[in-house]
Amino acid sequence: MQKIPLRFAKTEMTLARDVFRGNSPSGIPVCGKGTVLTDVLIKRLENMDVQTVYVEGHPVLEEGELSFDDHLRELDGRFIKTLHEPLNAMLYNIYKAHLIKSMGGESDQEAE
Amino acid sequence: MDTKNLPTLPSVIRKLNSLSDNEKSSIQEMARIVSSDQVLSARILRLANSPSYGFYRVSTITNAMILLGVNVVKSLAIASSIFAVMEKDSVGLWEHSLGVGVAANLIARKLGLPECEEIATAGLLHDIGKVIIRIKCSEAEKDILELAREQQLFATEAEREIIDTDHAEVGGWLSKSWFLPDKLSEPIAFHHEVAKSENYRIKTAVVHIADILIIASGFGHSGDCFVPPIQKIAWDLLKLNEQLITELVNEVEDKLVEVKNFSLEMMSD
Repeated sequence: MQKIPLRFAKTEMTLARDVFRGNSPSGIPVCGKGTVLTDVLIKRLENMDVQTVYVEGHPVLEEGELSFDDHLRELDGRFIKTLHEPLNAMLYNIYKAHLIKSMGGESDQEAE
Repeated sequence: MDTKNLPTLPSVIRKLNSLSDNEKSSIQEMARIVSSDQVLSARILRLANSPSYGFYRVSTITNAMILLGVNVVKSLAIASSIFAVMEKDSVGLWEHSLGVGVAANLIARKLGLPECEEIATAGLLHDIGKVIIRIKCSEAEKDILELAREQQLFATEAEREIIDTDHAEVGGWLSKSWFLPDKLSEPIAFHHEVAKSENYRIKTAVVHIADILIIASGFGHSGDCFVPPIQKIAWDLLKLNEQLITELVNEVEDKLVEVKNFSLEMMSD
């Protein structure tokens, strides 16, 4: 899941969270999560003055942001001292799977 | 390092301490004392509305006291005064602390533990000792970071080498000298040694796991470059398993997106 300014939103992106009018979580929801964006929809959100949306995967690489490989290398570095501990090894695998899911653009539906 | 030179508490908190010891004092009375300091109130409300606590729109100090409890408001007053001292280059530690607050809250809620707000607060304050080391022994802190990097040590190991104590112990002294209740001071003092926590071991275990999750996720920077070992005693005590922890990682990561934006706002004040 990634939070992006609406101007970076493109068709085919899927909303990962409900969009609220005025971007306030206590406002009226105007578009539900799971919705696939279209040009018309993006235009409408623009008209409603929505600034940012949460989309699935990690479609927009911001300037200075690390790539998937960099993230993985850093994750490996953080676990270098404790990977031999079974519980830490389990946690490493969970974070690695999460990284692949969130950066690889695969659907990141929550386990609900 | 002697405890005499530790930062003093804002007088508001001293007054709050004496009021909360008095059974006859009311929430309104305590709220009035806090509200008399506008800057402090603003910061407390900012934190009370942070992603660490699940409430939206806590708009008055009285509300914060009722929703979060007097202990939490008192700790928020301390947290905001301490973090106010931190320079801009401490953003990493600040983000780490906020992250652990959020993770501790999510873990406590998922496990259905009582007093989630207090656990979140313990998470927020767990590395307070590091702030003190940074303020009081800034030279030693540089050596600590360097040693930890060179020899691939955990922060606590490097701290022991250089200043013969560690941030958890410093945090423990400090929370004692500030009269924080044991349910906050124990997680602060023992988040790296859960077995030593006697009365509030579950809370301590939650903060221990929350700290590890946030270091593992690489969110913020606590000064620790390596994920510490998960202590078996904490894992067993909270009855964690692979599925629970996977769900927790996903929930925490989800929430951290919000925290990132929040911490940027906080620092730009």
